[in-house]
Amino acid sequence: MFEKRAEAFVLIAPAALFSLAVFVAPVLALLSEGFHFEGHWSLQPLSAFFASSLNQAVFWRTLKIAALVTAAAAGLGYLAAQAIVDIKGGGKGRMVAMVVLPLMVSPVARTYAWIVILGRTGIVNRALIFVGLTDEPLRILFSETAIFIGLLQLLLPLMILSLIGALENLPRDAVAAARVLGANDLQIFVKIILPLTREGFAVGGTLVFAGSMTAYITPAVLGGAKVLMLETLLYQRVSIANDLVSAGVIASLLIVMSFAANLVMRRIAKARTA
Amino acid sequence: MKKRLTIALALALLTPMPGRAENRTLTISVYGFAQDAYKKLVYDPFEAQCGCKLVVETGNSVERLAKMEANKGSPVIDMAVVSMADGLQAARQGLTDKIDVARLGNFAKLYDIAKDPNGDGMSVGYTFYATSIVYRSDKVRIDSWADLLSPKLAGHVAIADIGTNQGPPTLFMLGKALDKDTPDLAAPIDAIGAHKADIVTFYVRASQIVQLMQQEEIWAAPIGRFAWEGFKKMNLPVAWANPKEGQTGGMNVMVLTHGGKNQDLALQFMDFWLSTEIQTALAEKLVDSPANREVKVAPEVAENLTYGEDTVKALELIPSAVALANREAWLSRWNEKVGQ
Repeated sequence: MFEKRAEAFVLIAPAALFSLAVFVAPVLALLSEGFHFEGHWSLQPLSAFFASSLNQAVFWRTLKIAALVTAAAAGLGYLAAQAIVDIKGGGKGRMVAMVVLPLMVSPVARTYAWIVILGRTGIVNRALIFVGLTDEPLRILFSETAIFIGLLQLLLPLMILSLIGALENLPRDAVAAARVLGANDLQIFVKIILPLTREGFAVGGTLVFAGSMTAYITPAVLGGAKVLMLETLLYQRVSIANDLVSAGVIASLLIVMSFAANLVMRRIAKARTA
Repeated sequence: MKKRLTIALALALLTPMPGRAENRTLTISVYGFAQDAYKKLVYDPFEAQCGCKLVVETGNSVERLAKMEANKGSPVIDMAVVSMADGLQAARQGLTDKIDVARLGNFAKLYDIAKDPNGDGMSVGYTFYATSIVYRSDKVRIDSWADLLSPKLAGHVAIADIGTNQGPPTLFMLGKALDKDTPDLAAPIDAIGAHKADIVTFYVRASQIVQLMQQEEIWAAPIGRFAWEGFKKMNLPVAWANPKEGQTGGMNVMVLTHGGKNQDLALQFMDFWLSTEIQTALAEKLVDSPANREVKVAPEVAENLTYGEDTVKALELIPSAVALANREAWLSRWNEKVGQ
């Protein structure tokens, strides 16, 4: 075993060294900018960052939108994934392909399409006026709502794909057995499907949450400077103020929050066995 | 597998090695915009003339300045084009050298405003642009910068973000219109903050404004003249405002890297770029408005440019020193009043 281990280390070493040198080291160097103050290691830049009410607001807004997108993606994702898993024959493959298709289109193109769809003369507003829900076109663009819609559409496929995998591994007779024992749809979902697919949910949830936290194009195009999120704030700090310290703090926050999301999701997944 | 490896190796060998062909190489750092046109009109003809190789690096001003600062000890680039204020900042950081204008044969042909924009001999203007308000003439009429915040435009106006080149000039003119034009731009920033809900967005790219106007999201926005062509192509009645406070704008300048290894070649390139022939070619393709006063273009071309002695003289530019001294304060006030 040890011999094999040593062999494995030797085989891994070149790739590991390569990624250490060209990825880990530069990223750490970049992040360390945010933890230096007057030549010493310090948390001062972090506390200075959170002393600004704007930065606080942006931090909470980013967290809120990422959480809402993850929750909505989970809700819609379960419905879509269950429907796809239930399809018999070749239709299933075609549906999965339909889910994957948007991932092949550039996020820039997808996001710009939303400007047309959500605009005052776009299809959403025209439909709302047509059915009489509103007299005046609603201002949807450049708001938190627009960012939410854009991110949800961007990341939903990742949730659906993770859940399809989990639902396919779900023992079919478990649902049938619950039904025989008199459980209704809600009970089946909460007591059978949810616990048995938590791992898929954890993977999808992490991808969607981390994706929402770190996406740049969608908040920049659909939100703009009026609705800053951490990534758009980071860009502003670097490109306008050349402020690498705040940029280092924000980048560290994004990384830490992505890892934290993964931990929380894995905790949820583990709870099944507890 | 073996075959694949062989093919990969062969491809790798076919890839040209950098820096081996020509013996002289000039490295320049420019804005990423219109590079196809620049290549055809400026870079290729210059390479043919000097028998040298031109290496072009692109990016926004801040990125490129940060790179120059990082490579201060052994400069990679020989010359750069940046905004007027960034030209002054680079000079203050010791990143640039004085330009020996005696070696620029075309220097005398420049408009006075372009000859030494920062008054330190460290930069030469090569293009400028006017900034005014583009608006839907069937919906509103704009006579003053203050009209941007008038009730008739509420919910139908976009304003340039503070971080863009059009942002501070717009605030500068709004301050004049409000009769409170202090260098800290406090009054105009506060006024925009108070009307935040009436402003559709704070844009970062002029192309966004073309789309928003096309979709009838907005009726008015301050833009640079270089973007005017996109608006004229729309099937909508749009006009370029002539506000009573005047038009503002900006200038881009050329700088010479401090301690650059190819300063002779860099000066030769600057002179080439400033020549009547090249400035005319760039103007005719609507890439850059000429800083060379000998450039003559047809009226329909001039219409899309910032062109002519009178136009140039009337531009109200923010002095670079004022911009540099206040940039950080503008941003923090903006974030405080507008960003949240």
